[in-house]
Amino acid sequence: MFLTLAGIRKRFGAVTALDGVSLAVDEGEFVCFLGPSGCGKTTLLRIIAGLETPDEATITLDGRDLMRVPARLRNFGIVFQSYSLFPNLTVARNIAYGLACRGWDADATRTRVEAMLDLVNLRDYAERRPHQLSGGQQQRVALARALAPQPRVLLLDEPLSALDAKVREDLRTEIKSLQSKLRVTTVMVTHDQHEAMELADRIVVMNRGAIEQVGPPRELYDRPANRFVADFLGRMNAWPDRDGRPVLGVRPEHVELVAAADAADGANGVIRGTIERVVFLGSVTRVVVRAGERPCIVELKGSRLDLAAGQPVALRAPGEALLRLEKPAA
Amino acid sequence: MSAAAAARSRPGEPAFDSDRALLALLLAGVAVPLLVFVVWPLAEILKLSFDTPKGLGLGNYAVYFATPKFARVLVNSLEVAVCATLITTVLAYGFAYAMQRCLPRGRRVLGAIALLPLYAPSLLQALGILFLLGRNGAIARTFGVDIDIYGFTGIVVADVFYAFPHAYLILSAALAIGDARLYESAEMLGAGRARIFRTVTLPATRYGLMSAVFVVFTIVITDFGNPMVIGGDYSVLATEIYNQVSGQGNMAMGAVIGVVLLVPAAIAVFVERWVARHHHAVLGDRSDPLRVVPSPARDRVALAYSALICGAIALIVLVVVVASFVTLWPYNLSMSLRHYHFEVQNGLAPLWTSIGVSLAAAVLGVVVVIVGAAVVRRLGPVLTQALYFLSVLPAAVPGMVLGLGYILAFNRPDNPLGFLYGSLAILVICNVYHYHAQGFLIATTAMSQVSRVFDEASTCLGGGLARTLGTVTLPLVAPALVSIGVFFFVRSMVTLSAVIFIVTPATQLAAVSVLLLDDSGNQNQAAAYSVCIMAVVAVALIALEATLALVRHRGGMRAPQLAAA
Repeated sequence: MFLTLAGIRKRFGAVTALDGVSLAVDEGEFVCFLGPSGCGKTTLLRIIAGLETPDEATITLDGRDLMRVPARLRNFGIVFQSYSLFPNLTVARNIAYGLACRGWDADATRTRVEAMLDLVNLRDYAERRPHQLSGGQQQRVALARALAPQPRVLLLDEPLSALDAKVREDLRTEIKSLQSKLRVTTVMVTHDQHEAMELADRIVVMNRGAIEQVGPPRELYDRPANRFVADFLGRMNAWPDRDGRPVLGVRPEHVELVAAADAADGANGVIRGTIERVVFLGSVTRVVVRAGERPCIVELKGSRLDLAAGQPVALRAPGEALLRLEKPAA
Repeated sequence: MSAAAAARSRPGEPAFDSDRALLALLLAGVAVPLLVFVVWPLAEILKLSFDTPKGLGLGNYAVYFATPKFARVLVNSLEVAVCATLITTVLAYGFAYAMQRCLPRGRRVLGAIALLPLYAPSLLQALGILFLLGRNGAIARTFGVDIDIYGFTGIVVADVFYAFPHAYLILSAALAIGDARLYESAEMLGAGRARIFRTVTLPATRYGLMSAVFVVFTIVITDFGNPMVIGGDYSVLATEIYNQVSGQGNMAMGAVIGVVLLVPAAIAVFVERWVARHHHAVLGDRSDPLRVVPSPARDRVALAYSALICGAIALIVLVVVVASFVTLWPYNLSMSLRHYHFEVQNGLAPLWTSIGVSLAAAVLGVVVVIVGAAVVRRLGPVLTQALYFLSVLPAAVPGMVLGLGYILAFNRPDNPLGFLYGSLAILVICNVYHYHAQGFLIATTAMSQVSRVFDEASTCLGGGLARTLGTVTLPLVAPALVSIGVFFFVRSMVTLSAVIFIVTPATQLAAVSVLLLDDSGNQNQAAAYSVCIMAVVAVALIALEATLALVRHRGGMRAPQLAAA
């Protein structure tokens, strides 16, 4: 393994931010820390960067102990949520900053800065000051600045959160293509499940200072380890099974809707209910069905003009779509 | 070094982190001089004050409080300080209210005039008042009345003017912010102006008021120049220390009086610091800023009031200027430059000495406080607290006490730093550490405007402390650096209290010359010398404004952009 974290603990006063977190990241991999605010994801990223000192931790890079290497010498690139470009330096000098720290000569620096500007499509902005750029452009420069010194690991701390929705999506795509082109090991923190699912090779779902589950987006979605992961990535209908202990779940898009009249009474896996609400969301229609005590969410493709509140319906969940959800680890 | 080789050479595992070493070095560089030039002199004073023929004890204090004359001096000081504090605070509150919550015509000019006393030698107020109200003043001569301004009344009046700008600045800052929603709700509920003032304005500015009270109290009780000039037989602690040390060579009694003065001053300063920390909570992040709307009647009252105050402040300065340029104030008002031929030790040389010392103090002061502020930013909580305390401690030490401490600590053969005594260097050092607290606070405030994300970004890119400071932090606080430099320059030009004990005939300073001229009955020449000092200060202030304007113009940066969004 390239980057390994073991037994990371961190307390802030009475609050436990990280409770023994361990993780291994492969070289060239893109890993996302996903979780609600306060789950410890940003603290974990800052500990990897060396900006925060953990109470207990083992961190190695390529088999070498990182704990005694100060942040300055780790050669990790970082992009923050807030715009962190040095306001008194031009775009070019911002990008050259890390090179100057490493004693690059003028020629090598110029070549590298130009290459980085091309990489983020900001060639004409070299002599601008940060305050003359839009938020999206500033974050692209921050990315170029972080990548310029050829970092061993790229750390992204919610780099898209401060941007408008449209800019955020464009930049998301750009980050993904940059990362696959450069194959730089990347760790990103986010609270946005779509961001994580689009970008990550593996997602680390965190909750209350601990890791709930680690895996590729697809695996986490299809086989969530517990209720927390299931609810955090997408939506999940959940019921206690017959014994009442473990929980059964099914994704809204896997539930099938059958006209009440067509459903044979007592047929296997059919539940009767009444439509409570129909929400049209464009590409899908979300139907909330009241069946017994809890509502069940059903998502159907396209618009469904035939459905209306108050209509009796029957639901069917195919056996292969049913998931067994354990209790959350934390 | 080639790019690829450079990239591969990191990360390393250094046995020794140069950055931590540099931080430790800088910490020592700011902390050790603070110990040597602030704590040590203080310790010497305390030691001497407890030093009796029978060993350490309270004997000297027993003598002090048993002597009616000395007990009287303490009461005098407290009387003056309490009276002047109350008058100054009330007047300054009204003035700050007129500036911040009303829209009188010429608001900027009025606000600038109110700051004039900051830029004059510290005894100028008393000098001006004597030209107006003294035995040979304009009023007494014109109307043939005999006013007795010397003593208690004179000191209080002079100190009110002397301390006024400090109170005004604090109260102005407190009144500048306000939560519009509170005022709107009060108005909607039908509260009248008086009630709104009592229930909204006054409570919201109570911390500013308390700050102003304690700051003014400290300034007045430690003031030396004005009581020297206008006090007559009415002795206060600051003048009595001088009397004991310079007049009678009684160092021990000087030390005891110094400690008696240090106690109330230190209490006031630390209460003020404590209050100031609670200042920030007044305005939440959801408050709406207050907008002042014109109100003709109110604005006319505000103009009348502030014009009256500014008129008095300007009159005092003006009368000193006029008196310096006439043949004999107030008898012969024909123009004359004869008072500019100074009949004082070394003539005009002390003015040049002052300028040199002040320039050096400006440079050294900026370096010392900015390094202190940068180091404080990087330390852990315990060391931060300790260094912060050391850095603001000088605010609690009256100038007379610091000056006496310098005699005790450095004017002795067994001190390896004894060579400093009698040099210009010790005057520079004394000024830097006398005003260290204020300079340090301006520096930390400026630094706190620079987001820590910049430090972290620099660190992750491989930037060390020196590079981060030099390339990012210092350029961002450059305007504050210039302001701090001018602050040290101006204070060093006008101060009297600390340096009075450590000047020698060869290292005479301008403000001391003013005192000597006044002391020898040469009030007109004292006025002329003061005018020279004020002219130098004016040049420095104009240079400051020009530099700041240039920085703003070139950088195109506004303050909010210093912080990350």
